[in-house]
Amino acid sequence: MTLMEPRKHGSASDSAVGSRLSRLDGRLKITGGATYALEQPVENVAHAVLVPATIGAGRVVSIDTSAAEASPGVRLVITPQTEMGLLVSGDWGGNRPEIVPYHPLSLDVTYNGQAIAAVIAETIEQAAEAARLVKVEYEEGAVVVDLFDPKANNRKSLDQMAVKWGDAEAAFAGAAVQVEAEYRTPREYHVPIEPHGLIAEWSGDQLTVWEPSQWTHGMARMYSEWFDLPLENVRVISPFIGGGFGSKGAPYFYGAVAIFAAKVLQRPVKLAVTRSQGFTAYGGRASTQQTLKLGASEDGKLQAIIVDGANETSTYADFTEQTEAATPLMYAVENFRSSHTLVKTNTVTPGALRAPGKNPSAFGIESAMDELAYKLGMDPLELRLKNYADHDYQSGKPWSSRRLREALETGAERFGWSRRSHAPRSMKEGRTLIGWGIGCGTFPNLRNSAEALIRILPNGRVEVESGSIDMGQGTYTIVAQTAADALGVPVDLVDVKLGDSLWAGAPVAGGSMLASSITGAVHKAAVAAREELIALALTEEGSPFRETGANTLSIENGRITTSIGDGPALDFATFLRQVRRESLEVRRDTLPEGTKPADANKFWTTMANVQGPTATDFSVHSWGAHFVEVKVDEDFGTVRVSRIVSAFDCGLIYNPKLAESQWRGGIIMGIGQALLEEGLIDPRNGRVINNNLGDYLVPTNADVPHIEVISVGEPDLEASVLGGKGVGEVGIVGVAPAIANAVFHATGKRIRDLPLTLDKIL
Amino acid sequence: MTDPISLNLKINGQSHALDVEPRVTLLDALREHLHLTGTKKGCDQGQCGACTVFVDGRRVLSCLTLAAQAEGAEITTIEGLAGADGALHPVQEAFLEHDAFQCGYCTPGQIMSAVACIKEGHAGSEAEIREYMSGNLCRCGAYNSIVAAVRQAAEAV
Ligand code: FES
Ligand code: FES
Repeated sequence: MTLMEPRKHGSASDSAVGSRLSRLDGRLKITGGATYALEQPVENVAHAVLVPATIGAGRVVSIDTSAAEASPGVRLVITPQTEMGLLVSGDWGGNRPEIVPYHPLSLDVTYNGQAIAAVIAETIEQAAEAARLVKVEYEEGAVVVDLFDPKANNRKSLDQMAVKWGDAEAAFAGAAVQVEAEYRTPREYHVPIEPHGLIAEWSGDQLTVWEPSQWTHGMARMYSEWFDLPLENVRVISPFIGGGFGSKGAPYFYGAVAIFAAKVLQRPVKLAVTRSQGFTAYGGRASTQQTLKLGASEDGKLQAIIVDGANETSTYADFTEQTEAATPLMYAVENFRSSHTLVKTNTVTPGALRAPGKNPSAFGIESAMDELAYKLGMDPLELRLKNYADHDYQSGKPWSSRRLREALETGAERFGWSRRSHAPRSMKEGRTLIGWGIGCGTFPNLRNSAEALIRILPNGRVEVESGSIDMGQGTYTIVAQTAADALGVPVDLVDVKLGDSLWAGAPVAGGSMLASSITGAVHKAAVAAREELIALALTEEGSPFRETGANTLSIENGRITTSIGDGPALDFATFLRQVRRESLEVRRDTLPEGTKPADANKFWTTMANVQGPTATDFSVHSWGAHFVEVKVDEDFGTVRVSRIVSAFDCGLIYNPKLAESQWRGGIIMGIGQALLEEGLIDPRNGRVINNNLGDYLVPTNADVPHIEVISVGEPDLEASVLGGKGVGEVGIVGVAPAIANAVFHATGKRIRDLPLTLDKIL
Repeated sequence: MTDPISLNLKINGQSHALDVEPRVTLLDALREHLHLTGTKKGCDQGQCGACTVFVDGRRVLSCLTLAAQAEGAEITTIEGLAGADGALHPVQEAFLEHDAFQCGYCTPGQIMSAVACIKEGHAGSEAEIREYMSGNLCRCGAYNSIVAAVRQAAEAV
């Protein structure tokens, strides 16, 4: 593949990769013209509303739907007794059990809020009213409320997750300085501002689903398996996604319900998950608990790290929130051991939320490092630099790039870290306690193949088509920048079409891997399109270049010219006309050499071929360092984050303007995690009490100070074709411990369970 | 409760006749009945601000307003903010320039609130903008850029 010379960050006027081009889908979003899934103008839609269980565990003894069925406008009521005829689908990896029936609704209740019926009516108001008329009798069982419930004894230790090198127990026992502490994080929720839901429509045995999706191909595959359809009969359409953060990467049970209803009623069905149902229709981040032991020499060299972690999962499926994911990567240490345990509770199965694993893992290790710094009487920045890992101690491989030192040094300088006085409670402004804290973060660089289709249209415009999606990360924009750059056209000549599973294959927009995967494919297709245009121009009848004797041509600013620019200069529309071509179409992929066409779909529809961070000879990760100032009111214990400086190494930044927005978004979610966010569970019945945006608090504008974000990365060609590493998730990793460390510095109180609410501070 | 009533809503200067149940909210009337989907539903409970529209020039949460209540009033939605020639409102321009959004779902509500915030004279300082824009949640976390955009637009209008 031809490698493009990666450029350093350009200016706003320039549209090249690396420049600060404004979001290309921006105009649609600011005028109300961006049409999200549930807003598609589908005619004759019926509306579905879910009926939630009101107990936390047990069994549905009877369901009386007669009143609901008799209610005005009602067309269908679905219960666990409805024979739906579905089959279990494969998981993310594509592993699928032998033909096993799938029941999206069940009489067995395993968590409060679990849907046990659905009502479909002419209008949303009629469906909602009738849903309230469904009468359910239960036989209640004992509820395991959370990780710490004494009844939580269904535990499973995950030996395959254990990491071990050296002899950590012996090294810890012999260490001159020891830290041992337990850290906890609560249930947290995605709460994208666009709630979940879908519109399903059948036409014969062809199914169309409009649904916010982080992965059109993967979701189409799972729907096709549930309904036993050929993959090509299912189309998932998702042009705009109102935030996902990990929650929109797979179909959920309610998708099956709506699609089934549409099939029965032979008309389109819309199912809008309500805000409150969004706390139980799919899972948030599992609550976690971890015990960390750090052993160090008196001069602050780490000698051992031991981490034993656990997370809650549901009673019916295993989800791992790996509290040891970042721990082995952060520091130089010769002795390491970790373990992980799953604990079954009565919850919906938790899911991936921005930086799964790495996030709670960093809360542990970055808090513990701060504790160690205070035990040693050493500056927390100095301790981190002293234990800087010059290679990956876990895999033994060299880093492809790790400019974490630069991130720490640049961040410290911008923040003014050297002016910090070390002792807790030593920086005050009247009755306001000031605290400064550091937290570092990392996220592995995942890779997958992708394909892209480029068309040069009769009017000379360039169209790029991909089934990948834009949920705000900026895919539309960076795809256009990449194509424009490689093809030699101004970016406003490029139209990007995204979000349709029938279009070119792409991996999930998750694991921070989409941008690098998709730009690789788009770049390759655009280079091929350019070569094809040039070849045509040199050989095709009617081309004015045929007679010039040139053996190559160039394309600049949308015009085909001779390399020295002394001959004709034609725009694409004129050129196509002259060579009597309607249009030109080029499709390219970055599949491994020799992949059979029949196997290509597996790359887009499953995660089976995702390459992890150590798949090559290098260990490839993004890095970040956060510097936080908090102000704590001594009398009331209220914490305000007053200043943040964060520096990141994410390799080449395709578009700094958009990457900065993503980093800030991650940091702000980290502020929420540190200070506000916590799913509160009713101990009597396992219900999420605060299942709304007035009670589950996410940061508001007034909670957020100006955040300075800095890129210290350099292009890393081990990471991706153009040299970028993942941006979307690393921003949140390390924020919560930085804030907790700042709160310790301000108050002298070490809080080890999130969020840092005032009851814990006072 | 379910017998439809006939309403005439004046939205962005245009009259719209519709027959809806009396319990239909202004938000659902816009989105489900009139296909004016620029106004967003983020919670349907008055907690996120995504559904902000103007009724007689005042910002209201359309999810907490019945469609019938808005009859006879001048309703303005995000679709009516740009000029007839497509010229963007200065707040829209500033949002684009400052990248004051990511997913864009909270954005129509943010922009409506920002226009009102400026008009009400509450865009005097960054602290004041933060306070008066806090009824509009943005989970993508575009707050820094929203403040910058409101500041810039406040100077422009
Ligand atoms: S939808 Fe009206 S405030 Fe959230
Ligand atoms: S831009 Fe996504 S919620 Fe604000």
